[in-house]
Amino acid sequence: VSHPASSRAAWRRVIAVLVAAAFLATACGGSKSNSAQSSGSGASAGGGAEGKPVTGGSLVYGLEAETTGGFCPQEAQLAISGIMVARTIYDTLTAPDDKGDYKPYLAKSVTPNATYDSWTIVLRDGVTFHDGTALDATVVKNNLDGYRGTYPNRKPLLFKFVFENIADVSVSDPKTVVIKTKTPWPALPAYLFSSGRLGMAAQAQLDDTSTCSSKLIGTGPFKLKEWVQNDHLTAVKNAAYWQKDADGVQLPYLDQIEFRPIPEATQRLSALETGQIQAMHTDAPQIITKVREDRDAGKINEIESDKFTELGYWLLNSAKPPFDNQLARDAITLAFDREKFNTIQNNGIPTIASGPFAPGNVGNLDDSGFPKFSLAAAQAKVKEYEAATGQKLSFTIKTTTDSNTVAGAQLYQTMLKDAGIEVSLGQVEQSQLIGTAIGSDWQMLSWRNHPGGDPDTQYVWWHSGSLVNFGKIADPELDKLLDDGRKTIDPAQRKAIYENVNKLFAKKLYNVWEAYSMWTVASGTKVHGIFGPDLPDAGGKPWPSLATGHPVVGLWVEK
Amino acid sequence: VGFIVRRLAQLAVVLVLVTFFTAILTTMVPGGTVDAVAPFATAERKAEISHELHLDEPLPKRYVAWLSDFVRGDLGKYYDGPQTSHPVSDTVSNALPKSLQLMLFAQALSLLFAIPLGVLTAYRAGSLFDKAVNTASFGLLAIPNFVLGLVLAYWLGVKLDWFPVLYDRTLTGFGGTLQNLFLPAVSLAAAQIAVYMRLLRSDMIATLQEDYITMAKAKGMSPSRILWRHALRPSSLTLLTAAGLNVGALIGGAVVIEVIFGIPGMGLLISQAILGRQFVALQSLVAIIAVGYILVNVFVDVMYAVLDPRIRHARAA
Repeated sequence: VSHPASSRAAWRRVIAVLVAAAFLATACGGSKSNSAQSSGSGASAGGGAEGKPVTGGSLVYGLEAETTGGFCPQEAQLAISGIMVARTIYDTLTAPDDKGDYKPYLAKSVTPNATYDSWTIVLRDGVTFHDGTALDATVVKNNLDGYRGTYPNRKPLLFKFVFENIADVSVSDPKTVVIKTKTPWPALPAYLFSSGRLGMAAQAQLDDTSTCSSKLIGTGPFKLKEWVQNDHLTAVKNAAYWQKDADGVQLPYLDQIEFRPIPEATQRLSALETGQIQAMHTDAPQIITKVREDRDAGKINEIESDKFTELGYWLLNSAKPPFDNQLARDAITLAFDREKFNTIQNNGIPTIASGPFAPGNVGNLDDSGFPKFSLAAAQAKVKEYEAATGQKLSFTIKTTTDSNTVAGAQLYQTMLKDAGIEVSLGQVEQSQLIGTAIGSDWQMLSWRNHPGGDPDTQYVWWHSGSLVNFGKIADPELDKLLDDGRKTIDPAQRKAIYENVNKLFAKKLYNVWEAYSMWTVASGTKVHGIFGPDLPDAGGKPWPSLATGHPVVGLWVEK
Repeated sequence: VGFIVRRLAQLAVVLVLVTFFTAILTTMVPGGTVDAVAPFATAERKAEISHELHLDEPLPKRYVAWLSDFVRGDLGKYYDGPQTSHPVSDTVSNALPKSLQLMLFAQALSLLFAIPLGVLTAYRAGSLFDKAVNTASFGLLAIPNFVLGLVLAYWLGVKLDWFPVLYDRTLTGFGGTLQNLFLPAVSLAAAQIAVYMRLLRSDMIATLQEDYITMAKAKGMSPSRILWRHALRPSSLTLLTAAGLNVGALIGGAVVIEVIFGIPGMGLLISQAILGRQFVALQSLVAIIAVGYILVNVFVDVMYAVLDPRIRHARAA
């Protein structure tokens, strides 16, 4: 029996409910519109002709990840995306120039005593935080104490280890801070930058024990306007910023910058191509290949850099079999066809690493003596290992769940199998990776670390007794080199010491190096100033590194 | 009304079961919140942080505390670091509307295509058109939604520039929302269209064999009137059930689709809570999804009565 009228009414009701619900949801999700952004279109290629900077405009920057833990400088775990935001809001006391020398930045001067165990930091005049409070010696001391774990309101994690060599921080006058170190420490200016992580926060943020991660108050070129996690972080021009460019033009150039986390790299590039964003970064080889095509076609600007970069490698647990045995380390290194790996895994884009120090860094060597691939030699070492230990050479590689990383481990597994080495694969989630490395229940991890700067900044990763010496390296020779490098003042001697560190790694093989990361910033053709302006006070050209982000103070957009 | 009240009472029971099960599961996962927020801390320091954040309390005590907060509207906190945090409700208030929009749009789109196709393929069962649509539906089922999403983003977003490839919050209003959600909704809806279409087709074929349909034909009623007014309604119950149950699948699919299209929705929040071991937040997010899922299925139950008077009369009796 049919009821045409009631049937029609019933369906109308269903449709009406669905449409009403859609409208309701739309209304609930109403969002604010923001100002117009310039899109990258034009004809210039490569890095783009820089020209004369223009003030004004805004820019949307696509980041590879959201920094879910926020940006409380002392406690945050900042990867490249987080550092980009930190360099937008905060300033560091020092900054590196194009040669990797550290120059005063927020500080007017950073001067050591004759023995380099006492450093006097004089601050610039007239610098204010975004909340209007003045940058003075007390707030800088409190920040530094916060980093080293002696300021009551802050609970740092990694920096506590990093700054163990600081004995005392004191205020000598309202604009002067004195840092006393336990040993001579010529690398201290590098630590005052710490890859852009060592920003100075206002006293109010420093004392904020509950929302320090989201209520950001720095002295940086932009002030936080709004952070909606997973969506966007918008910062507006700090009109009272302390820095001007070489022509006396007030910095920053842009009125506004917005960061958008876009974890999917393909979509990040698509958004750039369609003008939804105007700049992005990536180190994914497949995406870099496409970016290069777009650059060559004149569709976008692109800047690449592997200067002062980090590197990918296989981190070995040298406190545990089989890698407590040099023969095992020899075998897996000789079995690693790095050329082939780099071609298949990385499209041949990055440069194969000769050691832990990337090009530009003190200690970098074109040939450190790192063993070259030899399957026959690897097979011989495997036999030697088995004869010496009575054990088959086998172990587990642990990686994160990232599909590209897993693919890399599978490729290495295949190479090792050819040498007669049995390898299992295991996975840990990214959030558990560092915890896993600190523990002892692992043999090999896929890893990425050691971005550039002073080579002493690697001290905590390799010195015995350091909690974050993940590889559990306990090598008196390496310890001595690191201790000597830390105390040595003469640049030539330091260079020799760190080259010896490089050679020691090539001989002892505590890690198996892969390649130096190539980072790329792609942008619309009207976007310029990626590396930033020259350092203040004629401090030199800016640092040509992208591995830990880049400054945003010099970004500008053609009208 | 009594029926709805009974179903809502069941909601409370289901909510407790789902969230308690989630709480138990979180104890089985390796690692914890403190490992994620303070990876560089020593074991002693981790124990201290755990204590400071009340994460070292026994599961039942933690669960009761969470439930008590949840029913009062306190969704708990995301822990950002050893002492900093932010309320889960802050992120949910931004994410939930977007996920609702996406889910509703995807469902509406699925039904919009599936119903006419299901009716017509049933009417012309065995025809070339039926075979072609069925083959296409298998194709849609075989394509993972994230692959379809990327392909659509490339062609309709990058090449043709018809739709934004990323969620654009400057596109406001109903039209802007439709523009924003078109590609992600199509990516999610494609497989659902195939499922709904095939379900409706098979039910419609059975309905079209009924005596009253034969009677309608004998009376000279037009095919379109028979199909749309007499056959579709009694054939819709399975489709409606599937649509309700598929809300779960849509939420699962939305995790990936939200990442691809940069939609700051609930799927993204849930995946971050899992990866970041934010178990308090995860419980609240799961609870919200569970409540939504149950409400949708209560709505489906109500719709049974609207669509089929026999059910309404049986319930009334």
